[in-house]
Amino acid sequence: MSSWLADTITQAQTIDDWLSPKRAQSLALLEATNWPNRKTEAWRYTPVNKIERATFKQTSTLQDIATHIPNLDAIDLVFVDGIFDAAASSKTFPAGLTINQLADGKDHDWALESFKNTKPDRHFFGLINDTLATQGCIIDVANDTAIEQPIRILQSFQQGSQSHTRILMRLGKRSSACVIEQLQGDSLSLNTSFAEYQIADQAKLEHYRLALQCSEAISIGGSHFSLGEKADLDSNLVGFGSQLSRVDIDIIHAGESAHSQLNVIYLLDGKELFDLHSAIEHTKPHGTSEQNVRCIVADHANAIFNGRIHIHRNAQKILAEMNNRNLLMSDDAQINTKPELEIYADDVRCAHGATIAEIDEKAMYYLQSRGISRSEAQVMLSFGFINELVDMMNNQAIAQWLRPILRQRFADMEIR
Amino acid sequence: MLEIKNLQASVADKQIINNLDLKINPGEVHAIMGPNGAGKSTLSYALTGRDGYEISQGSATLDGEDLLEMEVEERATAGLFLAFQYPVEIPGVSNMEFLKASVDAQRAARSLEKYSSSEFLKVAKAACKQVNLPLSFLKRGVNEGFSGGEKKRNEIMQMILLQPKLAILDESDSGLDIDALKVVADGINSQRDGKRSFLVITHYQRLLDYIKPDFVHVLADGKIVKSGGPELALELEAHGYSWLESYDRNAEDESE
Repeated sequence: MSSWLADTITQAQTIDDWLSPKRAQSLALLEATNWPNRKTEAWRYTPVNKIERATFKQTSTLQDIATHIPNLDAIDLVFVDGIFDAAASSKTFPAGLTINQLADGKDHDWALESFKNTKPDRHFFGLINDTLATQGCIIDVANDTAIEQPIRILQSFQQGSQSHTRILMRLGKRSSACVIEQLQGDSLSLNTSFAEYQIADQAKLEHYRLALQCSEAISIGGSHFSLGEKADLDSNLVGFGSQLSRVDIDIIHAGESAHSQLNVIYLLDGKELFDLHSAIEHTKPHGTSEQNVRCIVADHANAIFNGRIHIHRNAQKILAEMNNRNLLMSDDAQINTKPELEIYADDVRCAHGATIAEIDEKAMYYLQSRGISRSEAQVMLSFGFINELVDMMNNQAIAQWLRPILRQRFADMEIR
Repeated sequence: MLEIKNLQASVADKQIINNLDLKINPGEVHAIMGPNGAGKSTLSYALTGRDGYEISQGSATLDGEDLLEMEVEERATAGLFLAFQYPVEIPGVSNMEFLKASVDAQRAARSLEKYSSSEFLKVAKAACKQVNLPLSFLKRGVNEGFSGGEKKRNEIMQMILLQPKLAILDESDSGLDIDALKVVADGINSQRDGKRSFLVITHYQRLLDYIKPDFVHVLADGKIVKSGGPELALELEAHGYSWLESYDRNAEDESE
């Protein structure tokens, strides 16, 4: 057993709270699970021994992106190194919205039930998070409630910190809300951050995970969704990559006729690594899902995408699409992409594609025919390739905030 | 202005343009008509330098400069413009960003200072209005979700902004209703200043009711088989292309 894991287990055994029964289950699983290595399929391209080797040193002064998003009038829940910052957080909430700290969950019956309910046990660091997450929040939206103001959970991480947070959200029937998980920090820190969402029948969740930790940060986490009948999920993930960034997304269509859309952008430079594992579970008929995963990889960076669509027996009339397109900017950049389809129903439409794209020559010719140089056109088209997904974001404040940040990051990639 | 001599062009080792000669003087409007597969689009792609269009023989110069030696973008900044038959959609790149980059490149080539963003916005808005496109089209992705007619108008807007010496209009009338056709024709006519030249490629005489050509050429089998004045277009309309000497219909063109 890894020494980090041994320490983790020892530490977990000291935690005694309302989640203890659940934590004990995960702890038992952890003790029976091997520390992931290259032979562990889910961690094949993502070495976690960095966690063992982590030496706490000062990082290069990469520009830390401001966390403030102009024109975004959000309900803010701020965590610094995994500790709730009440002073920086919103204090009043609109009718129908209840927000509590994770520590106060014992007063909410549903919370205990929903813990570990949508996040599958196969996620190794999810189990670790189960045993150690004492901070986080519980968000409850009543039935028939439209929460207009986005809810932003802002987590920033500083040098040397280790933290584990959990978000539990329940979105009532026919209700709607927008949740933004924003994670930032570039110095050496370790965090696991998992969120579980229960989206009831006919409810609609707009979701953003802005996984903008970069450079030395070690960030492992996931967003996991369970969709009721006719529920609708519009999820967007933006990832920067760091020495180790791993995100797992599970979208479980638990009710009939649910719809989910997952758009993902990642932009990697230097020696950064970003690993996304997504799984869409169609358990009931008449559902639709669409995934667009686009990534640009420069220098020696490494992008990993494992996308799984699982259509269960009797889940007929499903329409599922998965599209992964990648742009390689250097000879040393790496992309490991693996689409997986598992289909046990016979009347479904399922499409997947993964391409390591070159520039679209037709578009290139069009731009050049207007006098734009090939090199400039290349920048425009490459950026356009990811900007297309930014254009699709429903929240304009986020889109407007992200565009120049992504453009700058892309420009920095160009220089090398 | 444009001088093409004995041009031979091929696509995928298949010769499409055969010994074509054409001379266009400043201020002239030439129309090229011809049946499907005659080589009309191939000619426009070969002149603008599209990849895969090989020139095996002949020359093409613009104001004495050898076009065939230039990169695609150099031909554009030398003053050659092509209004595409099928403009490509580029989601993620806004029309505004694209137009600004295009105009910046043209102005740099002419040793003019770049427009500031606000100056350019004014110019772009005016051009947008001129072709009767809503201003919101400046913000959208290049041609993204535009109808056929809107794409054609976007092409004409680009011509107005880029101020070329010679504009090739490749079936700028195809797929347009009569109102849109008028907008496109008016846009083209507004750019006729006695110096700028035009090469109008079309199947139908209809467009030439609105844009009066000085010369009409019939392209068949990759070469010009007949030239004349505007009356030639009327004759073609009346009798069809079969009225001309037989030509090989098998030649492939209009490739997209």
